Amino acid sequence: MTLQAKKRWGEIALLAITVLLAIIFFFPIFFNLMSAFKSNAEIMKDAIAFPKGLYLDSFKYLLTETDFPRAIVNSLILTLVSIVAQVLIIPMAGYAIERRDTRWTKMVFLYFLAGMMIPFQAYMIPLFKELRMFGLYGSLAGPILVYVAGAVGFGCLLYTSFVKGIPKEIEEAAEIDGCSRYGIFWKIVFPLLGPVTASMVVLNGLGIWNDFLMPMLVLPSGEPKTMVVEIYRYIGEFSSRWDMIFAGTAMSVVPVLIVFIALQKYFVKGIASGATKG
Amino acid sequence: MATAVTRIDKPLTAAIPKKKKKWQSYALLFILPSFLIYTLFVIVPTAGSIYLSFTSWDGISEDVRYIGFANFVEIWQSPRVHNALKNTLVMTVSLVLLENIAAIMLAVLVDKVRWFRNLFRSIFYFPTLLSGIVMGFVWAMILNYNFGVFNQILDAIGLGSWVVDWLGNPKYAMISIILSTVWKGAGYYMIIYLAGLQGIPAELNEAASIDGASGFQQFRHITFPLLAGSMTVCLVLSMISALKIFDQIAVMTDGGPGFETETLTYIIYKVGFGELRQGFGTALAMVLFLIIMLITVIQVKFLRKREVQM
Repeated sequence: MTLQAKKRWGEIALLAITVLLAIIFFFPIFFNLMSAFKSNAEIMKDAIAFPKGLYLDSFKYLLTETDFPRAIVNSLILTLVSIVAQVLIIPMAGYAIERRDTRWTKMVFLYFLAGMMIPFQAYMIPLFKELRMFGLYGSLAGPILVYVAGAVGFGCLLYTSFVKGIPKEIEEAAEIDGCSRYGIFWKIVFPLLGPVTASMVVLNGLGIWNDFLMPMLVLPSGEPKTMVVEIYRYIGEFSSRWDMIFAGTAMSVVPVLIVFIALQKYFVKGIASGATKG
Repeated sequence: MATAVTRIDKPLTAAIPKKKKKWQSYALLFILPSFLIYTLFVIVPTAGSIYLSFTSWDGISEDVRYIGFANFVEIWQSPRVHNALKNTLVMTVSLVLLENIAAIMLAVLVDKVRWFRNLFRSIFYFPTLLSGIVMGFVWAMILNYNFGVFNQILDAIGLGSWVVDWLGNPKYAMISIILSTVWKGAGYYMIIYLAGLQGIPAELNEAASIDGASGFQQFRHITFPLLAGSMTVCLVLSMISALKIFDQIAVMTDGGPGFETETLTYIIYKVGFGELRQGFGTALAMVLFLIIMLITVIQVKFLRKREVQM
């Protein structure tokens, strides 16, 4: 009986500690969303207090008086198009590398993997000049290509390890039926790779949505860039309009929150599979 | 997408020698787009960096002058670079330690707690999904000297004497960045540790418990050693991401006060784009690249060894 009671108390104590930590972890996000609905005066007067009413002026200002709407559109285009391009290009390469196992595909694989070690800082300065040379400076095509290029190494790593687990017999049967390699890949193999694709899409999509340094450098100054870059600019420019910046950060966080709640398992799976493969 | 044409009547024997050749051209076609984009937008500019690191290019003019190892000699001698390297080292070591300790703690809690397990896991994980800019701004607001929540709480609980300018005071700026980054990063490693914990057979702990081992003893002698695999991965991942920290610094301190929080990644950006010394900036970037390469090579060696053991 006492042992049972002791165990019970232990469990409750554990819960209490976890709840306390959860509050600490959640507070900054709650604080951000809450402050977005407060006026500047309210924020300065008492940062912890709940908003008095639903103050929406900062959203209104941000969406009508600034470049923020165009930044939102840019962020959406960059994220969506880059992700679609990654899915069209990278899985094929991973599949061919795994299935056609020769010396040259092995070399290409190592060549791709080497890219995972190269930090963006190591090539950002010439990249800037190169995009200008190709006439890609100032368009969204530049950053999209850079995002696809940056995802090749990790993407191929993920896909090769998953293609390994797909029995070859299915493909052989289709081949005997006269299906081309291209058809075999897109009609038979690619649908089986759904979970990897989902993990790559959510993790890379998030990385692009949140990216700061690359779009800041590569998109032309004087024009709206992406949400995150505009938020950074506003922090410098409107340093006393905190209400407005909070509204901006809230608008950048809420879509992430929604996608996360909807696709939670793919985030977790992506991390776990990425981790075991390094 | 190609359409599947069914040609059953085709003789099988004729198809076999042809198949290999066909495969070869397909493999090439499948790999080519990735190969081209990756080569053009990662490898070519990286090669460009190697070249530029031996020049005194300012980033704008046509004047790209070869100056040999002068940039690297300057890196070797410059007190500002030494300071940035020291800051990078302090930040990386503290982050690797704190993030992993926090992550193991969170993973054990989430694994052990009886109620709302998934909710807790999500709450601890969510901060990792925020951009460094957003998260840095929110923390800068929380830690603000005059209006920040943190100082307000300190005041309210009678610790008014602790109130300081967390980001403006050279003594505390680094710690503030480190702790807010732990808040952001720990959840990611928690997921990896959690997967590791769930791979430990429950019988081990049960047996130890019957033998009279306390909770802590079980953790010390069973859980902790069996987490070694997850730990190798987490240590390397956290080390590399700590070396690359940029966004938080840009928003929270801009490398300041003075040069207190200027790290290697930040000085590369400042020197290259702020001070227009891109030759020197790329030389610094090469140093960062070499450090990351070294860590990765060591990691690959370690992982290989572990695989052999298993």
